[in-house]
Amino acid sequence: MSPRSTIFSLSMQGIKYKGVRMVKQFGKILKFEFKNYITNKVFIGVTLFFVAVIAGVMFFPSIKDIFKKEDSNNIPDVSGDLPVMLVISDTKENSEAVREAFAATFTNYEVKVADTDIEGVKAQIASGEAECAFVLDSLTSYTYYVNNLSMYDNNTAIADEVLRSIYRVNALVQGGFTPEEASAILTAPIEGRIENLGIDQMQNFFYTYIMIFALYMVILLYGQMVATNVATEKSSRAMELLITSAKPTAMMFGKVIATCLAGLIQIVAIFGSALLFFNLNGDYWGGNAIVSSIFGMPAGLFVYMLIFFILGYFIYSFMFGAIGSTASKLEDINTSVMPITMIFVAGFMVVVFSMSSGNVDTVLMKVCSYIPFTSPMAMFTRIAMSTVSIYEIGASIAILVVSVIGVGILSAKIYRVGVLLYGNKPKIGSVIKAVLKA
Amino acid sequence: MKLELRNIDKSFGEKKVLKNVTLSAEGGKAFGLLGRNGAGKTTTIRILMNVFPADKGEVLLDEKPINYDKVLFGYLPEERGLYPKKKIIDQLVYFAELKGMSHSKAVSAVDYWLDRLGMTEYRNKRLDTLSKGNQQKIQLITAVAHDPQIVILDEPFSGLDPVNAMLLKDVVKEIISKGKIVFFSSHQMNYIEEFCDSIAIINGGQVVLSGDLREIKRNYPRNRLVVRSLQNEKIASEYEGSVERGENGDIIIVLNTPEEKKSVMSKLTETYDIDEIKVYEPSLNDIFVEYAGDQI
Repeated sequence: MSPRSTIFSLSMQGIKYKGVRMVKQFGKILKFEFKNYITNKVFIGVTLFFVAVIAGVMFFPSIKDIFKKEDSNNIPDVSGDLPVMLVISDTKENSEAVREAFAATFTNYEVKVADTDIEGVKAQIASGEAECAFVLDSLTSYTYYVNNLSMYDNNTAIADEVLRSIYRVNALVQGGFTPEEASAILTAPIEGRIENLGIDQMQNFFYTYIMIFALYMVILLYGQMVATNVATEKSSRAMELLITSAKPTAMMFGKVIATCLAGLIQIVAIFGSALLFFNLNGDYWGGNAIVSSIFGMPAGLFVYMLIFFILGYFIYSFMFGAIGSTASKLEDINTSVMPITMIFVAGFMVVVFSMSSGNVDTVLMKVCSYIPFTSPMAMFTRIAMSTVSIYEIGASIAILVVSVIGVGILSAKIYRVGVLLYGNKPKIGSVIKAVLKA
Repeated sequence: MKLELRNIDKSFGEKKVLKNVTLSAEGGKAFGLLGRNGAGKTTTIRILMNVFPADKGEVLLDEKPINYDKVLFGYLPEERGLYPKKKIIDQLVYFAELKGMSHSKAVSAVDYWLDRLGMTEYRNKRLDTLSKGNQQKIQLITAVAHDPQIVILDEPFSGLDPVNAMLLKDVVKEIISKGKIVFFSSHQMNYIEEFCDSIAIINGGQVVLSGDLREIKRNYPRNRLVVRSLQNEKIASEYEGSVERGENGDIIIVLNTPEEKKSVMSKLTETYDIDEIKVYEPSLNDIFVEYAGDQI
């Protein structure tokens, strides 16, 4: 064996040895941190609370139904209590014709022909005997009397439509058509079909919105957890021992991945129970377009969601961990993580605004779907609400994966430097300098 | 086994923390690293343990660059701290495992040390339910449970009552007798004097004195005589100007040269009623104050 190859094989052995030790440490750290989460009472409590809330919402219609059935025995037929609408026209025939037409249209009123004059009608409305009245001078002119004009009162608009149609039928009959022909002409149906070649934005809007919001919550929540975890170790000085016992890279990846696993378990528990409750109450929710669109999400999209969820979580958690390591007091964390939170909220805003504007393929969104800090939200939204080629998705994921690894290694370096900095909050410049040296 | 630091330089930003630090410690002996607050002791220890690299210089074990993947360190940091809310057994086993022990070996090693330090009853308690001294004993276990070759103890005796200090002394002596390198850092000179065969005093980032403790003491200028006599006042007035007051009413006569020793001694014993007369042996405290007292 040549000297060079001996050196090479020795150094390879060294790397292998280092690798084995680091992987072992990583495994121990992962196990320790993960156990911390799942035995934490707050963690268990929060999970159960969410499951209970979802159970409450999902079972609400069935519970309501049980009460309704009991109630319906006590309350007799409600149709007798319909409010009264009075109509009066210039002639008796017209009054009767209008009453018939109105009665067919205003099904939530009891429509009567008034048997008094205008003053009598006003008096009846004022006394509450009738709620409103249409006083017609002719078939094309009327006055609407009502006690309190509600914001949602669209009776006049409906009346206009009914009267217009009566007028048209009359005009056509006078022109020589039979009433049947006339109404056939006026109500000629138009056949229209929608064939969607892409994606139904309306249907996808809700679950995309829910997923983006869930991503937002999860990243901020668990990212903060990682930051707090690191800062707690630092402030309790357990760090002094940890930093001499384990490699910073193993520490960082162990913590972040343990938090991720704990988070996934929590999410699976919450969403899984939601799905279970949905199926148990399928009769009540099946007709609800929003809810069933959420649970009817296509499997492919779900896989993308998972990928972007995990990668997005990683990239932010590494940054949160690095920031946590530079804080010397637990209280400092909230201000220290501000810049990261700002980037994240800005990305969230861009996505939500473009979603509600209906166009998710703007230039800004396209750019955002390749920037690793915004791509988890932006690219996922575009996949869900628009048509994106597989190459674009691949490129976005590839950039994200490389960035996650890069940010992970960088954050381990910051961690190594940061955990030994006590006292004043370090300046960003000095941290960068120290990291470059390390 | 011989551990050496050679020509170590380290700066943090503009501040030079270590300047050309060289020291060596041997297996089976304890090494004392002394220095005032901020002198660079902790930085030296961190470089030794590869927490961060030195700007210049090297760490050698038996003349070869140390392989941090094979050598196990045990460390008792000056800033004590573990996980306050966790069960003691869980965290001790965790730290031993991080150092490469298997789970079952870690458990039995931790149980051995809990028993050895009389802490078995606290095995399943949370750390923050213990007194400070007992927490320190728990912390000591993290430094020794994984059977490291090099043990670094930073201020190990601070906060311990005399009984626990005795217990710790026994443990330290046992570790030394097993041929391990024990690296002490302390301000409490009496403990260093008791354990350490060799020392290094570090001041302002530089090693100002290092070597075998007995030799250092021997090489200390032997120009002082400690005199104990009932006629102390008379002697003091005769040698006025070159007399210091010692402990217990002794007087110390400072000679111009060590060679005068013999003549002064015989003159004193002839003239006065002397109970005891001997050459003054400096304490480590004196040496420390002399070398580290002036500047930082």
